[in-house]
Amino acid sequence: MKIVGGLGVPHTPHFPALVAQGDPLGREVDRLFTEVRCHLRELRPDLLLLFTSDHYNIFFVESIPIFSIGVAEEAAGPSDYPDLPRYDVRIDSELARRLQAELVAAGFDVGMSQEFELDHPVTVPLGLLCPEKDIPVVPVFINGLIPPLPAASRCFQLGKAVRAVLERENGGGRVAAVASGSFSLEIGGPRISETSHTGVPDPEWMSHVLRRLGKGEVPELVEDATSEQLTRAGNAGGELLDWIAMLGVIDAGPPVMLESQEAMGHSYGVWRSGDANGRAGQ
Amino acid sequence: MSVYAVNKICYRVTHESALRAALAGSRQDRERALDEASPPLTAEERQALLAGDVGKLSRMGANHFLLHQLGRWKLLDLDLPAYAERIRAEYRAERRAWGLGGE
Repeated sequence: MKIVGGLGVPHTPHFPALVAQGDPLGREVDRLFTEVRCHLRELRPDLLLLFTSDHYNIFFVESIPIFSIGVAEEAAGPSDYPDLPRYDVRIDSELARRLQAELVAAGFDVGMSQEFELDHPVTVPLGLLCPEKDIPVVPVFINGLIPPLPAASRCFQLGKAVRAVLERENGGGRVAAVASGSFSLEIGGPRISETSHTGVPDPEWMSHVLRRLGKGEVPELVEDATSEQLTRAGNAGGELLDWIAMLGVIDAGPPVMLESQEAMGHSYGVWRSGDANGRAGQ
Repeated sequence: MSVYAVNKICYRVTHESALRAALAGSRQDRERALDEASPPLTAEERQALLAGDVGKLSRMGANHFLLHQLGRWKLLDLDLPAYAERIRAEYRAERRAWGLGGE
């Protein structure tokens, strides 16, 4: 298989309603997702490898895996917002199972999830990026929310190991890696804003991450993303780990698109494999 | 002390509509639902939940992502603005030191 590119987006549950309302913020969200969606379409992926952090929906009572791969044949969602559009996501179950086995063989202790519902961090961006829902997905869950979190370096290495497994897969096929998450976000905790139950507690970190990504300084970013720093970035600051794993898969240089809504802690990025002009490999 | 029992209640409300109905219902419904919690709540946890005292539950170590679900689902007389205001009030001194919230 060929890794054709990667992208990262946020996943606020209110995005679909905002876009439907068409107010200024909704139009901006729509513009940003449309731009990412156009890149994704040009990449012509046959598979989306989706890095996401479960929001205390699949994993809390029975166990909290650091890494897990969804190997069901399909999964419905969202499990956590009944008012959002509900739909089924097709999963490439056979590939997911091979990927999990190969990763374990390579020394990555990745679990598997055989029956689950997906939550809004998957269904919201997927619904906006791929409304046709015609591309199968392999979901990779990274524990970015429930301490202790995995090390950024481990997530980066996991991404590289995923790449190695997929490149050994026979039979062609184009893979795009997708990351769902924010860089600095506090939900319901002491560092929320004065006007909301959420906040961006570390805007300087957010700007720093964007500078690193813009220059293609991914190994440096991995080094900067210490456990202490991710904690300072808020109780959802660990979602950066989903981006870092995605960046490991695509062997990232500078992005072809990187925009942010810094006041909300949100960023939108696209990386395309291939030549330096940013055109996808054929 | 573990506040797992509190966190588990807050986890369950997203996935159990009957629990949501009970915790938005009469005092009796709320008490019954909390008394049926497994693992059981301590008396202090039970009292703080019934009072919607999310500041105290936060100080006891409850998980904020889970705790804010009480406000999101409008349970125990909370909503998101009320939830957020109680958390801000509880951490007013710290927030000043962090440069949040002004005077």
